[in-house]
Parts: sequence; structure tokens; C-alpha cells
Amino acid sequence: MEFDFKHLGFTLLGLLIVLNWGLLMSALMQKIGARVARRIGIRLYQPWIDLIKNYAIRSQISHGIMFYLGPVFRFSGGVGIFLFMPLIVGSVMWSNYSFQGDLVLIMYFQFFGMLGMALGAGESGHPNSAIGISRGLAQFTAIEAPLTLAIISLAIQYNTLSIVDIVEAQQGGIQNWSAWTNPFATIAGMLAALGSMGHSPFNLVKAPNEIPIGPPTEYHGTFLGVLRTNAAILHVMEAALFMNLFFGGANNWFEFILKTFLIYFWSVFVGVVFPRFRIEQSVAWFFKIPLIAGVVAIILFM
Amino acid sequence: MVSPYFLLGIGLGLAFLLGLLGQKARKSSSILILVALFSFVGISFSWLWQFLQENASVTQFFSAGFKPPFSIALQVGLHEAVLTSMINVMGLFSFVSLWRNMKDGNEKLGPILLILFMGLNMLVLTRDIFNVFVFLEITAIALGGLILFDEKKHARSAGFKYLIASALISTIYLLGAVLIYFSNGSLYLDDVMALNNMSPMAIVAVFLLILSLVLELKPFPANGWALDVYQGANPAIGAIVSAAIGSTMLFLLYKLMGMAAFMQEFLIAVGLISFIASNLLALVQKNANRLLGYSSIGQIGLIISIIGLKDILGDQFLFVAFMILITHFLAKAGLFWLSAMLKSDELKAWSVFRKKSVLLVLFGIFIFALIGFPPFPSFYGKWTLIINLAETHNYYLIAAILIGSFLEAIYLFRWLGYAIKVDFTEYDEVKINWEKLIPVLTFGALLLASGLYMAHLMPGIEDITLWPLLFILAIYLLDFLPAYIKNTISIAALAYFSFIILPPYYEKDLLRFIFLGIFAIGGILTLIAGYAYKGKRRGFYPVALLMYAGLIVLIQAETTLSFFFGWEIMTAGSYFLIIRGKRSMEHGLSYMLFSIGGAYAILAGLGLTFAQTHNIDILSLASVTVHAKLIFLLLAVGFLTKTAALGLHIWLPGAHAEAESDVSPMVSAILLKAGVFGLFILMIAMGKNPEVASIAYILGWVGALTALVGNLAAAFQEDAKRLLAYSSIAQLGYILFALAMMSHLGWMTAMVYSLNHFMYKAILFLTIGAVVLRVGTHSMYKMGGLIQRMPLAFIAVLVGIIALSGVPPLSGFAGKWFFYNAVLEKGWYFQGAIVFFSGIVAFLYLFKLIYSVFLGQLKDNLRQVKDISIWFAIPIYVLILGIMFFSAKPEWVLQPLSDMLTQWYPNTSLSFDGLYINSNFGYWSGTGVMITIMIMFIVLLLWLWILSRKVVKVKQFNIVYSAEAPQRPETTHVSYNIFAGYYKALGWIVAPKISELWNKISDFVVSVAHFGRMIYTGNGQTYLVHILAFIVVTFLWFLN
Repeated sequence: MEFDFKHLGFTLLGLLIVLNWGLLMSALMQKIGARVARRIGIRLYQPWIDLIKNYAIRSQISHGIMFYLGPVFRFSGGVGIFLFMPLIVGSVMWSNYSFQGDLVLIMYFQFFGMLGMALGAGESGHPNSAIGISRGLAQFTAIEAPLTLAIISLAIQYNTLSIVDIVEAQQGGIQNWSAWTNPFATIAGMLAALGSMGHSPFNLVKAPNEIPIGPPTEYHGTFLGVLRTNAAILHVMEAALFMNLFFGGANNWFEFILKTFLIYFWSVFVGVVFPRFRIEQSVAWFFKIPLIAGVVAIILFM
Repeated sequence: MVSPYFLLGIGLGLAFLLGLLGQKARKSSSILILVALFSFVGISFSWLWQFLQENASVTQFFSAGFKPPFSIALQVGLHEAVLTSMINVMGLFSFVSLWRNMKDGNEKLGPILLILFMGLNMLVLTRDIFNVFVFLEITAIALGGLILFDEKKHARSAGFKYLIASALISTIYLLGAVLIYFSNGSLYLDDVMALNNMSPMAIVAVFLLILSLVLELKPFPANGWALDVYQGANPAIGAIVSAAIGSTMLFLLYKLMGMAAFMQEFLIAVGLISFIASNLLALVQKNANRLLGYSSIGQIGLIISIIGLKDILGDQFLFVAFMILITHFLAKAGLFWLSAMLKSDELKAWSVFRKKSVLLVLFGIFIFALIGFPPFPSFYGKWTLIINLAETHNYYLIAAILIGSFLEAIYLFRWLGYAIKVDFTEYDEVKINWEKLIPVLTFGALLLASGLYMAHLMPGIEDITLWPLLFILAIYLLDFLPAYIKNTISIAALAYFSFIILPPYYEKDLLRFIFLGIFAIGGILTLIAGYAYKGKRRGFYPVALLMYAGLIVLIQAETTLSFFFGWEIMTAGSYFLIIRGKRSMEHGLSYMLFSIGGAYAILAGLGLTFAQTHNIDILSLASVTVHAKLIFLLLAVGFLTKTAALGLHIWLPGAHAEAESDVSPMVSAILLKAGVFGLFILMIAMGKNPEVASIAYILGWVGALTALVGNLAAAFQEDAKRLLAYSSIAQLGYILFALAMMSHLGWMTAMVYSLNHFMYKAILFLTIGAVVLRVGTHSMYKMGGLIQRMPLAFIAVLVGIIALSGVPPLSGFAGKWFFYNAVLEKGWYFQGAIVFFSGIVAFLYLFKLIYSVFLGQLKDNLRQVKDISIWFAIPIYVLILGIMFFSAKPEWVLQPLSDMLTQWYPNTSLSFDGLYINSNFGYWSGTGVMITIMIMFIVLLLWLWILSRKVVKVKQFNIVYSAEAPQRPETTHVSYNIFAGYYKALGWIVAPKISELWNKISDFVVSVAHFGRMIYTGNGQTYLVHILAFIVVTFLWFLN
């Protein structure tokens, strides 16, 4: 496809929408969590204030070049996934740059940010960062096992690895969603989603009261601002991935917002109920029911 | 033609003369005997010349002009000429090697030696059965004398046991001779052979004759006396027993077998039992001379069975027998002579040869020749033997021969490993005398020359394979030069060679072009790193070039023979490269044993192929129909030992990790591709045979599990190079899996992985190796924070791990993308899921590698460390450019690959549309993704930069640390056992069950050997009982 300013403009606009929706959503989720715990919770505009404050802090320290680049990698990871993800069904403009690669690209591009962040945090030399990263990576491999099976199952079902095609195949009503036509893949995928969203019981990567916030321990000010910006985008995009894969995608921005909210809410909902796993527990957990569901999903479509 | 009676005359005449002349002549006796032995050589060489150049015919000489049976006939033919030449050369050099022993009052040994060799000549020449007995007795007494007169500790008892045993054996022979004469009135061999119907008595007679000759050849278990002789006698006499007497007796057996065709099966059985049993028992042997004795008995056993196979081998019999005999003759004599230079009998004492590298090289040559490596004659002998046995469907014999050879390889290579690696300071230094050196050098040179000459003669070996070998010889002779000169020569040679042979392949055969390119470019790049080494680096260049020569021969091979030739040359070279590592003794051995096991599997597979195609063209593999599964399985096992598939992988981590810094990338990034190439050849053949799909299916599972276990194990390593080694195992597992899919997309994946793995594994191993050279440890937790000291190394490792992990936009992603498509197309979902999962596990070790080494806390002792050597950085950054090119323009590489693969898989869903690659399932634009990501990254970097211009770099330990001030990097750098939780959850998968299994197998074999060895009590009477029991048992067997 030729370079097209209009397309770029739509993409940037989409990014802006996603960013703000991500910030709002995180505030909403925190609010919900607080209410469950009988607290009042934060103000809904708190994330924007935090962001501005972080970007505005004047004292900034760096531990080295990789430390400096870590947030850039992380941010690129989030934005990259956004770029390669189609947002709205049937819309060329809202498909971003998804024509450059398929589901495999998204699967592997997730690691771009993760790896860069791991290295940046690693250079900080803080033991908590290293511990957080080692846990995060360990847990992530386990998450990927059922998720991979779910994706293979979908690819067999729809005979494609293109997200655009997978979404299009689900159009025409709820009965065509993968959640309905391929329930086991959806179970495997949504259980894996719990892990990738990083809420309790799978929040030992940042484990607030044990290794205070894990990998980003040393990041502050602008660096933290960049990371928070990315987190807002990434949360929405992760939800959007599952929306596209299992819940028929979105035909318009309203549907997009509703579905990503519900998908994200699923992890918060579980999170407020269950306490945190240790790393070996969480790794082992993904190799039980989620993995079995993934295997069944493949067997059904073989 | 010179009459053979001159030999008799000279020998007896001089011996008696010296006796008559008494004391006075003693001083000059040595010279006279030397002249006599020279004349022996002259006479036998003149015969040889006449037969080879003037096509003389077989001539018989009769004593006193009478015809048999009234005279003794001596026959001179080509066989006799060859054998007597060998024996007389041996006699001459034996005399030289014993020169010093014959001084100082021991001059009487000289005539005895002369008589001994005269007797051996006569045994070869005579056609009279009784005459054989006479000369058997003469040689026995002469040898007994030689042994007894020596001053070695156990020589007396050994000589006594020998005399007793040989007396018993000669008695049996005499009994046979008497019965022959009684039943048939003539002792002339030709008369006996002319008989059509043998009376029962004649059969018994022949049985006794053959049996006694077999006993002379020391069959298991009636050979305790012989082992004591080898152990107790002077090694120079051991050389005579093994090489000269052994060859003579074998020839005698061959000669007398003319009348005993009914005993062929007996010879096969006895020979193979001896071959396997003595090689098995040798496993637990610690005395060098006794070990050589076991090995001699084993080799002679093999030749006995080959004599038994005469009718089966047909035209090829003489070739096979001679190739193995001549190797045994030269190598075993050489080994005994080497042993004679040492004071100690211990195997480990041979490590002192390291101080005189020429002796070590000779030792290596003899060992490799005995095992049957190219270019030595036994290689061709074994090849022809196996092929012919396969052709005649003697599969059990193939198995027995290969098992015996494998057992022999175990102890010989363990021994060579001792010589190369064991600390030699506790052993007496070796004193080289000219008279000890000359025989060994001559025999070593003869062995090499005969091998090279054979390679030249052998059909199926291209002449071009010889030039590299000669060049390697030349480089060895230049070993005294400093390393950088030899390095330059080696690079130039490799560059020139690749410049000549590489370009034509681009048009002709792209597959070979790519693999050759990997070997040539990889070779040059890794050699460049060698400039970082100071000093002479003795022995490195010949063996490195040997490996590359093998690799190149392998790719160029058009026949299965030259393929196998290349395979073995490469194995030999890489063995020496691997064992150069500081702690590599056991790893070198396990590499060699797995390689030899694999090579024998390949040999058996190729043999079975030849048996049905009658063709050594490498393409003939595709036309096998019978036993296709077995053949492909054998070949697959062979190649998988090299690619270290699960179960056959245990040699790799140690071998790759302990190798030198520039050797690890050679053996990992480059050498492993030889296995991949082999698999390609195999799979191309398998693709044409629908029957063997089940094998591909199994290989797919093996590949997937290898990938899983390799990556998981890598995540739990603390040694950086071991981590990379396990990673290689896993990567090769991916490639195996991809190849086994037997589809266009599968092979695309395999090709992409092969190319990528070559580049990133070379980068990673070179960089980590260079870092190790600077910091002096492999343990990652002892490093940390090196990014500040080694930015060049850090960038290289960063690129390497991104490419390896498959994260876009680098080229590793191409592999992942093809993988998904190939798996979905093939329908191997579960295996595929395992492979994908292991691909993600790779992140664990990649993070650990880069984090533990370069990030985290810098250790105090490494604060002054310098960045990696520029000589490592050059090849590393060239390879990084390669990765960048492949990443930015993948279609430039992928499209030709795809076109190439259509010759095997014309139906492909893959299509190239400008910058886009499309398959049935998905699409991907490498260039597009690259550009998008670059732009995005730069924009975001600018964004951060604009917002954080006041950033201040802080010092180490300036971290938020709960009100404490960390000061020791060791306690702050989290690295050791970093994935402990993960290990708790999944560690059971990588429990070393397979190593345990192999250990149990080897323990079992060793304990069997220990048990078997108990029959040798050291008591002469027991040994006689063994001989008698052997006679009784064989006799009973024949009565049946």
C-alpha cells in the first residue's frame, strides 16, 4: 500500500482515542476495585493528572543508555501493537497498518516492548526489577501455552491467520462469534487473558507489597510517564485483540469501547476475588485447565 | 627371479657364522645382521617389483631339484611378495628399534631376530604342510628367546607362558600334519588342495591344522598367554608379535584355508567373537601394552572373520582383507614402538608425547587409522566390507562388525584424549632416540601415503578431495610459525577455495550453494577471530582446516562414498577442535563416540542402500524400496547425532561450552549445519517414498521435544556458553521439526532457521567467547554490568537475542512466521504448539544471558576490563550486517529459496507480491514492518528525549533501596538461579533422565567387561586349560 497522509491521520486519531479510553478505563477499574473494598477510590480524571505530573517532574536520573531506551522500546511495543491491529470491522482507515502483518506479527511484537523494558529495567541494577522481570517472563511463557493453542484452533477454524479475516468471519450476529462457535478456544484464550492483563492472582510481576512495582522500580518522572502512557494503550489493545479473536470485533467505536471494557473488566472481576499466586503456582495453573481447554479446542477442529 | 632359498641361506648362514666366530665377531655382528635384513628387504622388493611392473607369474621353487612330495616347495607370487615385503620391512625396523637393546652384552638378540624373520618369510612362502610346522617351531623358539632375554619385569613369565602355549599349539598342528600325510600320502599343499573328496580323517586333519593356526592368532578366550606376552614383553617385541607374526599367521591361515572351505563359518564366528570380546574387555584396561594387545587381538579377529568371508566377498575379498591388514600392520607396529619410548605402562603416561608434538600427531594418525577414518586404508576396507555384506544380506555380521569397531573406538579415543589432555608433569619425560623415532615416523608416513594413494585410486572419491588434505599437511609442517601468519594462510586458502568452487553452485544447485556459503563464509569469519590469539597456537590450524575440508567435501559429494568420506574428515577435525578446550577431555570423547555411533549408522544405511541400488550415486538414496524404513531411520539417527536431537544430545553442551572462544561458533553455528545438510539429503530422498511418512512423523515429534527440552534446559544454566549450547540443541530441534514436515513451507522454515541460526549463533558465541576471554569466567553470575565496559559486545548480543527470539523487525521473525504457516498447513498442531511454546521459553534464557552479563551491577574485579577484541568484533559486526540485510529485505533471500524448493514441492501456497509475502493463511511484509517500527521507534525516542533533556546519569548503587545503601555488587546483582520458581513448576521436564540412561548403559558395558576380564587369571596353567577347552568346544561343535 502506498503511503497515505489521510490514513496516517486516522491512525493517529485512533491512537489518541485509544490512549484516552485506556486512561479512563484504568480509572474506572481502580474505582471498581476500590468500591468492592468499600473505599471511595480515585477521581476519574486522576490518570491524566498523574500523567501530566510525571511528564512535568524536573529531576530525572538515568542508569545508562539501555535504561533510557527501555521505556522507548516498551512504548514502541504498545504503539506497534496498536499499529498492526485492526480496530473497526470493514474500515480501511481504522484498520491501521494491519496490512503489513497478520496475527503472528502481533503475537511476536508483544515481546518487543517486553524485552526492551526488561533490558532497561535490568540496567537499573535494582534487584526488585530483576526479580520482577524473571517472574514476568516465566509467567508469560506459561500464558502463551494456552493462548497459542487457542490461536491455532482459531486459525484452523477460519483457515487464516489474518485478524481482519477472522473478525470478518464472525460478522452477522452473536451466533457467529468465536465465543459461540469455538467455546474451548475462547475459554483457553480468556483464561490466558487473565494472565496477560496482570491483575491478581497473576500480579506477582509487580507485586506491590513484596517487590514494589517490580520492573519499573527505578523508573520515575518522564520515564514513568512514558510507561504509563504505554500501559493505557496496551491494556486497550490487549482487550481489543481478544475482542477481535473471540467476540466478533467492533463495528463502531461504541462497540469497541463496550467490548474492550467488558473484556478488561473480566480480569479485574477475577482479580478482586482471588489472592495472588506464587510464581510456580501461576505457571502450573496455566498448564492445567487453560491448556486442556486449548487442546480440546484443537481436537474439535482437527 | 631371486630364489627364496637365499633368504634361508642368508638367515641360517649368518646366524651360525656368528655363533662360530664367537666373542670377536660380536662387536660387528649388528652391522652384519643389518645388512642381512636389508638383503631380505631387497629380495622381497625385487619380487614385488617384478609382479607389479613386469607382470611376472607365480613361481614355485623346489629344494634340491626334486618334485614334491620329495622336496620342499616355496612359492613366490604377488601375495607372497607383498607379505614378505611387509614382514622384511618390519624386520628391518624392528632391528633398528631394538638397536640399543642389542648393545651391552645383549648382542645375541640380533641373530635370534634374524632367525625369527627368516622363519616368518618361510612360513609365507612354503607350500609344504610339515615345513610349516618346522618354521612354526623355529619362530616360536626365536620369539620365546627374544622375550626371555629382555630385561623387562614380567618378561620371564611371559616368555615361559608363550613357550608352553606355542608348544601345545604346535603339537596340535603336528597331529594334523601327521593325519594329512597318513590319509593322503603327500604334504604338498597343492596336492592336498587338489583333492576332491576328503576322507573323514583328512577332514579331521585339516580341522586340526586350521584350529592350530587360529589358536596361533589368539582367539578369545584362549588368548590369556598372548595378552601376558604383550604386557610383559618389550613393546618393540610386541610390535613384532602383533604386526609381523600376526600378518604371517593370517596369511598362513588364508593359504591353508584353500583346503578347508568347510571351516569358513567357523572362522567368521571365532573372528567376530574375538573382535567384539577383546574390544569389550579392553574397555577396562589401564596398561598400555596390554591394551594394545587387546586391540591387536581384536583387529586380527576381524581379519580372521574376513578370511572366513572369502566366498561372500568374492572379488572384493583381497581388497578388504589387505586394506584392513595393512592398516593394522602399520598402525599397531607404530603404536607399540611409541609405547617403547615410554618408561611407564600407564595409559595416561602417553600424555608426555604432548611435549613432542610429532609423536602426538603420529599417535593420532595410528588411532584414527585403526578406527577406520579416512583417508586411511581401513576406511576403504570397512566401507567395501560393509557394502558387500549388505549386498549379500549379511545384516547381523554388519551389526557385529560395527559394534566391535565402536567398542574399539571407545578405548582408543579415551586413550587419545588422555594423551591430549591429561597433566603430564608426573610422568617421566620421553627421551627420543633416533632409532626409536625412525621406525615410527616411517610407518606413520607410509600409513598416510597409502591412504592418500588409495583415495586417489578409489572410484567415487573425487580427486579434488585430496588437495585440501595435502594443504593441511603443509600447514602442519608450518606449525612453528606464529599464529597470525598461519591464520592469514588459512583464511586465504579458505577464501581461494570458496572463490573457486562456490560460484558455479549458484546456478547449479542453490541448496548446496547456501550450505557451502555458510561453511565458507562462516569459516573465514570465525578464523578472523583467531587473530585475537597470541603465540603459535600449535595444532589449531591443521585441525580447523581439516573440519572445513570435510564440510566442503561433504557438500560437493556426488557419491555416497565421498559423502561419508567428508563426514568422517569433518568429524575428525571437529573432534580435535573440541578437545582443545581446557576441560574438554570427556566432552571430546563423548562427542567422538556419538559421532562414531552416528557414522556407523550412516554407514549401515548407505550399505543397505547400495545393496539394492548397486550404485553409489548420492541420488540413489531416493530409489530404495526394500527396508526403506530401516535405511532412513539409520541415516536419520546418524545425522541426528550431529544435530544433537533429544536422546543423542548429551555430548553437545559440554563440547560446545568448553571449547575455545572462536571454536564454539565454528562447532555450533557452522558444524551443526552439516547435520542439517545431511537431513536435507535424507529428506529429499524420503520425499520420494510415501512409505516412510511415519518416520517423518516421528522425527517431527523428536524435533519438537528437542526444542522444548533444549530451551528449558538453557533457561536453567549458569554458564553462558552452556546456555548457548542448549539453545543450539533447541534451534536444531526446530530445524528438524520443520524439515520433517516435508512441505514447501516446512522446508522454507528450515532454510530460514538454518541461515538465521548460523548468523545469530555465530554472533552470540563469538561475542560471549570474546567476553569470556576478557573476564576469565563462563559463569554469568560472576559478570554483570558489563554494558559500561563493553558496549560493542552488548550491541552484538542485543541484536543476536532479538534475532534469535523472533521478535520483529529482525530476521528471526521470518522463521516464526513461516513456522506458523507451515504448521497450520501440515496440521501438526500439537507438535507445533510445543515448538511455539519452546520458542517463548527462549525469552527466559535470552534475558538471562544479556541481563546477567551486561546489565545489573558491575563487579569490582571487572571495573577495568576492556571491550572485546577487535578481531572478534569484525566478524561479529559483519554478521550483524548480514542479519540487518536479511531483516530489511527478506524477500530478496526468501524468494530464491522458495523457487529452489519448488523443485521438490511444486505446489506451494507461498507467493511474493512486491514487498509482501502471502500464504494460504496470512501475509507479512518484512520491509514494511521494518520501516514502520523504525519510524515509530525514532519518533518515540525523540518524544522522550524532548521531555527528558535534563536527565542526569547516576553512579552505581544509586537506587531506591528501602533506606539501605547497597555496596557489594555481588549481593545486589540478582542472577543466580533467577528462574527458581519456574524450575519448581517445570523443572521436571529437564531432569537429566537421558544422561542417566546413557550412564547406566555405559556402566553396564563396563561391568560386563570387568566380569569378562576375570577369566584371565595370569596363571599359565589356566591359560592352557582355556586352549584345551577351546579345542574341545570347537571340536564338539564340528561333530554336530
